[in-house]
Amino acid sequence: MEIALFGNPNTGKTSLFNILTGSYEYVGNWNGVTVEKKVGTLKGQKAFLIDLPGIYTLNPLLRDEGIASEFLLNESFSSVLNIVDASQLERNLHLTIQLLEFGKPAVIGLNMVDVARARGIQIDEQALSEQLGVPVVSIIARTGKGCKQLAQELTTADTGITPLHIDYGEPVESAVEKLISIMPDAKDLNKRWLALQFLEGNQVVRSHLESCIHPEQLNHLYETLSDELKKQHQKKSIKHHLHAVRQQFISSILENTVTKTGVKGTTLTEKIDAIVTNKFLGIPIFLMLMFIVFNLTFNYLGTPLSDALDAFFSGPLTDWIGKGLTAIGATHFIRDVVLNGIVAGVGGVLVFVPQIFILFFFISLIEDSGYMARVAMVMDRIMESVGLNGKAFIPLIIGFGCNVPGIMATRTIEQPKERLLTTLLTPLMSCSARLSVYSLFVAAFFHKHQALIVLSLYVLGIIVALILAKVFSLFIKGEGSVFVIELPPYRVPQARTLLRSTWEKGKGFVRKAGTFIFGGTVAIWFLSYAGPGGFNVPIDKSFMAIICSYIAPLLAPLGFGTWQAAGALITGFLAKEVVVSTMNVLYFVPDGQSLTHIITGFFTPLQAYSFMVFILLYVPCLSTVAVIQKEAGSKKWTAFSIFYALAIAYILSLIIYQGGKLLGFH
Amino acid sequence: MELTQMKPGEKGLITDISKINPLIQNRLLDLGIKEGERICYKYALPFGGPCMLEACGQCIGIRRKEAKCIRVEKC
Repeated sequence: MEIALFGNPNTGKTSLFNILTGSYEYVGNWNGVTVEKKVGTLKGQKAFLIDLPGIYTLNPLLRDEGIASEFLLNESFSSVLNIVDASQLERNLHLTIQLLEFGKPAVIGLNMVDVARARGIQIDEQALSEQLGVPVVSIIARTGKGCKQLAQELTTADTGITPLHIDYGEPVESAVEKLISIMPDAKDLNKRWLALQFLEGNQVVRSHLESCIHPEQLNHLYETLSDELKKQHQKKSIKHHLHAVRQQFISSILENTVTKTGVKGTTLTEKIDAIVTNKFLGIPIFLMLMFIVFNLTFNYLGTPLSDALDAFFSGPLTDWIGKGLTAIGATHFIRDVVLNGIVAGVGGVLVFVPQIFILFFFISLIEDSGYMARVAMVMDRIMESVGLNGKAFIPLIIGFGCNVPGIMATRTIEQPKERLLTTLLTPLMSCSARLSVYSLFVAAFFHKHQALIVLSLYVLGIIVALILAKVFSLFIKGEGSVFVIELPPYRVPQARTLLRSTWEKGKGFVRKAGTFIFGGTVAIWFLSYAGPGGFNVPIDKSFMAIICSYIAPLLAPLGFGTWQAAGALITGFLAKEVVVSTMNVLYFVPDGQSLTHIITGFFTPLQAYSFMVFILLYVPCLSTVAVIQKEAGSKKWTAFSIFYALAIAYILSLIIYQGGKLLGFH
Repeated sequence: MELTQMKPGEKGLITDISKINPLIQNRLLDLGIKEGERICYKYALPFGGPCMLEACGQCIGIRRKEAKCIRVEKC
């Protein structure tokens, strides 16, 4: 049994999905959190639940919205679970009607009844159920209230159901009949639904029909109806007409099911919005908040925790493992692999776990509260001036955590050109993996101004992205930029959701430590242990040193022309965390000391900053390249995203290092 | 009058929304915003930034040049 989850954007589909399946998928308080379909197993039942991106209507305007229509056309499923936002019932029912017209058994989950009640809206679920002819269950997905009942209703849902039939009047009805008469028999699909969706302008349905009906015939039918309607009602498109008929139907339902008691006065959301999207304070408040987040991550909270962890890894832990290895009589070779390779390399990355979790916690807080959409709004003016729109800022912020979900989030951007631009530029956002490199260097070189230096790198990433957006948009042809965004009411984030979401984001970092970083470190250790002269050679006679010495001279003008730096950069393509673990191996950190102390002997502060800038920009990591390829769908753009980044990184580092030297820094 | 000619906080009835960019018009229709609906012009961000509207119980941000295409009648 497969149940498909449909609903308007930001109505809590994924929250409900997580509760019903006991899994965890990404949730947040803005439109377009879910951009792909996700499948889970219903707790304790033999049924699958399929989470789909939110849509207002089956007729898609965006790439992620097309997924729902494609799903209805091509996949087999047994019933529909339609989540409806009780506080926006009127708007939500438009989708419900289209789903009921499709004709599969359905259950309606009436979500956010608490929000509705607070706004003075009372809904009689019994009456609503009778009017629509399907079961309706009130729930509060955020707290889980009513969800058990809903699950029960789902598995016992009626199997025989007649599709909802609304009379759209002439000339629509005769056009529908004509279209149905030329449609070949399809196994599972409701012909009337197909006809109506086609007439409404649904491109996914159109291309489905074009496989069996000649496109000209379809066009003719569409144009005739369009003209006739225009004659009847002035300036009305078919879509408008269908919408208006449904609206009438909905109004008649609402009359008997909803009672509104007039409450008003300013809501909390309005009060907060008056400040955070204030004319003058909007942008300063955003920057202030970011600054506070960085201070907490690097100065007040994160750094002490990371230092403690570092002291533990390089002190007691190394001792214990060393003693343990001696006790079991391990050979010198094994001792070297474990202590200088694995413990130094993997441990060197794991010490940044506290900082990364703190940053993820704040990103989750922004996502869950509803502030995200406001940031998009506040930033729109700036983004417009470089050929993007405010919504493109959302992928960029998510990219601070990890570029991969950031690039996935570009799917909610309307125009293909803006989507491509954002996909290409998201890798310039400093992800949490790069944070491990900064943490290492700022602790060693800029102890007093850690947060400020790191913030400067984040801001640099954004500025470079904006400038490049302007440059690229001159060359990429496309439609004009548009911007329309829904600003959801604020919600107080729940501790449970926040912690879960932080953990899910941070989990990847810890897991990578066990796979990529572990494997990479061992390989690098081996390459630095072996050389043409055999095993256990001095490190600068190793294979690693020989290979990287070829590249090092290229980097000399940037201030870090050592083979160790070159080696770290090459391996950083796998995953940016590997940069730190490689350095731990290559700079050969003796027991009881940490890389932070050693590294000051190899870099000057100016060289360190130049190196950090290079790390920020130089190339997207392997997983990011894969997702760019998937989203842009073109090898050309994928290659471009790698090479433009390398070029920009080289130029900027060169300017910073050489310019810095001229100004007397060192 | 144009929507943006109203004072912040004023309410009006939409009389014509057909001049706006079709993509935005479709999205606004999805949200229930169309001719005959009440709309409240909340405010605009500085330097020609987007403006915030409230209609059908929800807040929406659109650009000022688009908001100018919405004709309203004070009510």
